[in-house]
Amino acid sequence: MNVSSSTPTPALSFAHLSKSYAVGFLARQRRAALTDLTFDVARGEVFGYLGANGSGKTTTIKTLMGLVFADSGEARVLGLPLADPAWKARVGYLPEQPYFYDYLTPREYLDYVGRLFGLSPSVRTERANALIEEVGLQDSRDVAVRRFSKGMAQRLGLAQALLNDPELVVLDEPMSGLDPIGRSLVRGVILRLKREGRTVFFSTHILPDAETLCDRVALLREGRLVKVGRLDEILERDDRNLLEVLVSGGDLAGIPEASRTGRMGERATLQVTEPELLATLEALKRGGSRVLSVQPIRQSLEDYFMKEMGKGGGGPA
Amino acid sequence: MSGLKRIVAVAANTFRETVRERVLYNLVFFAVLMTASSLLLGNLSIRQDEKIVKDLGLASMDIFGTFIALFIGVGLISKEIERRSLYPLLAKPLTRSEFLLGKFAGLCFTLFVNIGLMSIGLIVTLLATHHRADPALLKAIYPIFLGLILVVAVALFFSSVASSSLLATLWTIAVVVAGRFSDVIRNMRQVSEVPDWLVTALYWAVPNFRNFDVKNAVVYGDPVPVVALAWMTAYAIVYSAVLLGAARLAFGSRDLH
Ligand SMILES: Nc1ncnc2c1ncn2[C@@H]1O[C@H](COP(=O)(O)OP(=O)(O)OP(=O)(O)O)[C@@H](O)[C@H]1O
Ligand SMILES: [Mg+2]
Repeated sequence: MNVSSSTPTPALSFAHLSKSYAVGFLARQRRAALTDLTFDVARGEVFGYLGANGSGKTTTIKTLMGLVFADSGEARVLGLPLADPAWKARVGYLPEQPYFYDYLTPREYLDYVGRLFGLSPSVRTERANALIEEVGLQDSRDVAVRRFSKGMAQRLGLAQALLNDPELVVLDEPMSGLDPIGRSLVRGVILRLKREGRTVFFSTHILPDAETLCDRVALLREGRLVKVGRLDEILERDDRNLLEVLVSGGDLAGIPEASRTGRMGERATLQVTEPELLATLEALKRGGSRVLSVQPIRQSLEDYFMKEMGKGGGGPA
Repeated sequence: MSGLKRIVAVAANTFRETVRERVLYNLVFFAVLMTASSLLLGNLSIRQDEKIVKDLGLASMDIFGTFIALFIGVGLISKEIERRSLYPLLAKPLTRSEFLLGKFAGLCFTLFVNIGLMSIGLIVTLLATHHRADPALLKAIYPIFLGLILVVAVALFFSSVASSSLLATLWTIAVVVAGRFSDVIRNMRQVSEVPDWLVTALYWAVPNFRNFDVKNAVVYGDPVPVVALAWMTAYAIVYSAVLLGAARLAFGSRDLH
């Protein structure tokens, strides 16, 4: 069941991978999209690939899938070199903003994909039907894709990525274009894959999702790896001191505007740093508030992201 | 073996696309044309009438077929790249070569069906106007089909090399027109500015579609030797194979974006 225990090779490995694109008049210049990318994704892991627009996430994934070719360096999939076709039957891939043939229905498309995987007709039908249910397209299974909304296409994209029962799934922005129900569906699918011991590698801009789902993340900036590691390691580094205080009633006038982060009827939440805590409690006492709880909170991935990307704004100073 | 299955899967899907995208609607025009000609020509002398129907039928097969081969052919690869429908497929156990071959075979099959149905239409028209269904017609139809395969190969080549569908279309039209009027190229020798070797090279490089034109001979009852048909077949196969090989080379190592 659990693939990770039996095989020691990483699900994905990048070694000094670099890729540039030709730009400018007659394509005479090249601009680096990826520079010296080196990291591994272990088996059975849910791995988030993060970075701002244009940081090179899609380029990395397209290089893996053989759609573009690296300038130098190497990548391996399930321990095999990219050029070895043997891994392709064991991997699923959802492209960014996927497009499928207008004239096919989801059922027909999945059947076509199943034929490319060499699946027998009965397996194709069975899996296609199950996946159509899972991604919530059962009411549109016989509707031509040309009538699909963006989110519906995204769901079909997810279904085709899972048709071959893959050990490793590579998803390029799986949540994009989805409504809250769709997003929660994708989260559910990712968690199911993880439970089954499969590896999920996905890029995303939706950091709370990455935060709830990922074991580890990598952060990319302008084609270079900024950080890779476990979420708790990355996030606890500089905010051990941030605390959340939950209070009830009283007058909060003595508390600085900036620390008041939420209010629900009688109750209010405050965020303070450790050195500020005593003064805050004192002020609360003066105002007659009841302190319900004080607990350390972790900086969100979003805060970290904003800080790392040099944009500032989020998180404590 | 499994490679062959994948090629067939791609070919079948390509054929399905042409059917769903209404490429076969040209058959309606063909039917109207045949019916109209048989009605209008009813009062000419029997001999002439037969020749005109045959002429018209064969010429329309050639023209309709060429249009389909050219305009669908140039989109075969470039459209898939532009729309990115190719991305999920190439991540499956489908090689770029298999994809090319499947696309090629699929459109050739569409043309085969199309030409087949038009041939039936022509025979029905002949029978309806009290003529024989002349088996010699096949000797003209077969080379038309070979020519169309070659047009598909040219289109597929430019489709996999060019950076856009538009460029692919322009190049393909240029080559197909040049190949249909290859005499014009030969006559460029008379223009002193163009060096002879260039004219000769062009003449030989461009596929010579005139080789496939035996419509007149068949319509006027002249013999078309089997050897000639064999040569045409060899020419079409070798030329298409070279083009597909070149397409494979260009497409195989190309970044898709
Ligand atoms: N086909 C291309 N030609 C030239 N440059 C390209 C091409 N595709 C991407 N780039 C450049 O490569 C860099 C990385 O792009 P990429 O699409 O990988 O980013 P991304 O992280 O996926 O961004 P997003 O979050 O917007 O999807 C960008 O600077 C982009 O301009
Ligand atoms: Mg992207």
